[in-house]
Amino acid sequence: MSALDKPTFEQIEAYVLDRLGADERLAFEQRLATDHALRAEVKLERENILAIELGGMERMLTEVRGEQTPQRRQSGGWTTWLKYAAVVAVLLGGALWFTLRPSTNERVFAAHFTPDPGLPVAMGTTDSHAFNDAMVAYKLGDHDEAIGKFTTLLQDDPASDTLRYYIGCAELNAGRPERAAPMLMAVAEQANSVFAGKARWYAFLAMVRSGDRTGAEAIRFDAGDPYGMKAKAVLSEWE
Amino acid sequence: MHRFSPTVEATAADTLTEPSWASGLRRNDAATVRALYQQHFPVIRQYVMSNSGTSDDAQDIFQEAMTVLWLKAKEGALPAGSEPGAFLYQVAKNKWLDVVRSAAHKHMKVIHDDRKLDVRAEAPDDTEEKLLRLREVYGKLDEKCRTVLDQFYFERKDLVTIAAGMGVEEESIRTIKYRCMMKLRASRKAIAGEELTDES
Repeated sequence: MSALDKPTFEQIEAYVLDRLGADERLAFEQRLATDHALRAEVKLERENILAIELGGMERMLTEVRGEQTPQRRQSGGWTTWLKYAAVVAVLLGGALWFTLRPSTNERVFAAHFTPDPGLPVAMGTTDSHAFNDAMVAYKLGDHDEAIGKFTTLLQDDPASDTLRYYIGCAELNAGRPERAAPMLMAVAEQANSVFAGKARWYAFLAMVRSGDRTGAEAIRFDAGDPYGMKAKAVLSEWE
Repeated sequence: MHRFSPTVEATAADTLTEPSWASGLRRNDAATVRALYQQHFPVIRQYVMSNSGTSDDAQDIFQEAMTVLWLKAKEGALPAGSEPGAFLYQVAKNKWLDVVRSAAHKHMKVIHDDRKLDVRAEAPDDTEEKLLRLREVYGKLDEKCRTVLDQFYFERKDLVTIAAGMGVEEESIRTIKYRCMMKLRASRKAIAGEELTDES
């Protein structure tokens, strides 16, 4: 099976979705008239898009169906009962929240933590394909998949600060600060790494998340490092 | 000259002649789906429940009939002058008759109601087969791909909007979309015995 390059795929897509201008459409249809392989690709892409739309339509129908059912029930004699049930649910929810509410360090962490968005994923170079795949998983929040793929790459390139940094970030994003902190600290200690500053900040936040105040206070930020100011604010809120 | 089948989108000529509910279905418009549901489901429910079915059975049947109507609209295969209520009733009735004729429902007694048999909707031809095939294709997508492809192809969001919603760059979404579609293409081509010619 031959590959379909991205520009051709997108041109077929534009044709199938009727997003070509009149001239482009005419030219494309002239090509279609003589290019058997292109016609087969158009047919395949059209059907794949239709399959995706069908999936969406069936989900929408299920949602609309769900909207109908409660309306019918509320028209009966259940309204009053539902009101009482709602009050009880709110009270129980409040009690549950009070019991399970996050600790101070977790609240401070949540207030200051913004996940690293990851690196742009470019097309083309085959040697970076595995890295891009891992980065795509990272960006989509598939943390375990991303960690698995980054870790495989790290075996071939154990000195890579980029891989260690994003493994640490993925661990932190996945709610595993204890695993994230050492990985990030290893990068933070590489003075020549472009990730050192951010790694120090996320290692600091990992320690905040796991309640390790001593470890968090031990992290030294460079003078003028904007993360240093933020770290001070975090520690003062975590009193 | 090769004869092209209709594109997924309505052409300009189609949109001039088709009714708003059909163009709404083509656009996957939620308001159109809700309106059709509210307007036509009660009749189907009455029919199914009069013939030993439950309200849930009626919902299932109506949902399947709506899917057939949507597919016909997408493919530009609705006969001119089609009326959605009559179409849905005919398809739902045929489907329910299939159910009650099945072994599990042999004890049921069907009250025939031919009030609306005089409709333009013919019995589904190869539609069922096509729906099964399309569902199989969709089933090959992992959640990661569905998240992006659904937004782009079904919800019609542009790449910038999807990227903003997912907190990534537009180029990343373009790449993910391309890769997911290529995975789908590869799996389709790998299906044994599937012949993808341009003539069907």
